[in-house]
Amino acid sequence: MEIQTLSRARRLLLLYCSFFRITALVVGGGLAMLPVIEEIFVNKYKLLTREELLDMTALTQTVPGIIAINSAVYIGMKIAGVPGAIAAAAGAVTPPFTVILIIASFFPHLDPKNRYLLGVFAGIRAAVTGMILVTGCRMFRRTVKTRLEYAVVFVFFVLAIMKVSPALLILAAIPFGWCYVWWQTRRLAQAEQAADASKNSETTSNIPEHEEGGK
Amino acid sequence: MNHCIVLFLQFCKFSVLCFGGGYMLIPLLTAEYVDKEQVLTMSEFGNLCSVAQVTPGPVGLNTATYVGYVNEGFFGALAASLGLIVPTILIGCSAAAGINRWKETFLVKGMLKGTRLAAVALIMFAVTIFLGMSVFTQTIPWESFGALFKLERPVLPEGFTFSPAGILICGVTVVLMLKTKLPTTALLLGAAAAGAILSAWF
Repeated sequence: MEIQTLSRARRLLLLYCSFFRITALVVGGGLAMLPVIEEIFVNKYKLLTREELLDMTALTQTVPGIIAINSAVYIGMKIAGVPGAIAAAAGAVTPPFTVILIIASFFPHLDPKNRYLLGVFAGIRAAVTGMILVTGCRMFRRTVKTRLEYAVVFVFFVLAIMKVSPALLILAAIPFGWCYVWWQTRRLAQAEQAADASKNSETTSNIPEHEEGGK
Repeated sequence: MNHCIVLFLQFCKFSVLCFGGGYMLIPLLTAEYVDKEQVLTMSEFGNLCSVAQVTPGPVGLNTATYVGYVNEGFFGALAASLGLIVPTILIGCSAAAGINRWKETFLVKGMLKGTRLAAVALIMFAVTIFLGMSVFTQTIPWESFGALFKLERPVLPEGFTFSPAGILICGVTVVLMLKTKLPTTALLLGAAAAGAILSAWF
């Protein structure tokens, strides 16, 4: 299907329906949606290339917000501008919203003393614990590399346990990140200068051409 | 109505602070609704997350809808969901289209570095919250462990023990996630069935 031939309204409808289908079918977090997004938008409609999808994956994990909605907004934006972003986000929200509303209105009628029902919930909670643990460890391995970073994560963790508001922690992390990156770049530049200097003293005849440190 | 606006704004805040996916909402939500406003107990929150996890759709959105519904009914659910998506749309339509261009600048790089480290710490914190609802029978009593600094034996509160079924299911889930490619749905259904069967014994 060629997107150029579609009218604006049809494009918005297509976005709404696609994301409706995606969130209605996929159980789990935003990253679980990726294969389905690829199937629909890359393979079926050819509205995105694989490279664009990869870019988008990086982007949706960069900006704040839940990944599913981020993906919907970027794809919508790419295909039909701001109205597209809104249509895609609305499509992504509708199924979970409806399903949860139905469940939530049944919930108070469930027997809270039923032993098997409690068992079911306990089982799911235990599985969710394992899932968050695995996700967290994967994130840890990807993000935390140096000894200083280990220390910082540990301090944040202890502060969270001591009931410091998580919102405050995230906000405090931003200026810390700036200081950290500034310090890292400076250290890198210094190391480069030192390397340059030693090179200079070794080969006095040949002055190495000046190079800017990595931006 | 006023409450709905408060809910909307609260979820806008969560959305803007939510670096690193839906699980980040767990510490934010417990701090707000379990510790501060006390509209939910920890075990209600646990059940809520379980429901959010087994139903289709992103965990973050499911949780938002549910928390909104528990607080203020239908319009609360609507306000919470909108609160979660409106900032994303605003960010997506303004700045983020060009963020790839700014990815190498100092401001964006520093912000990402900092928030990612905080996100890792907070997800680990979310794990401890969930451990208190599954592997242990109660919230982990961190205050009791303060005694360790004085080189004393920590006095654990009554009723704080391991839950054998919880340990078993949690362990099996971790192993299956690492060793197989089973879909989340299968894992959750298995865990639910195992929980029901084990509840007959323990």
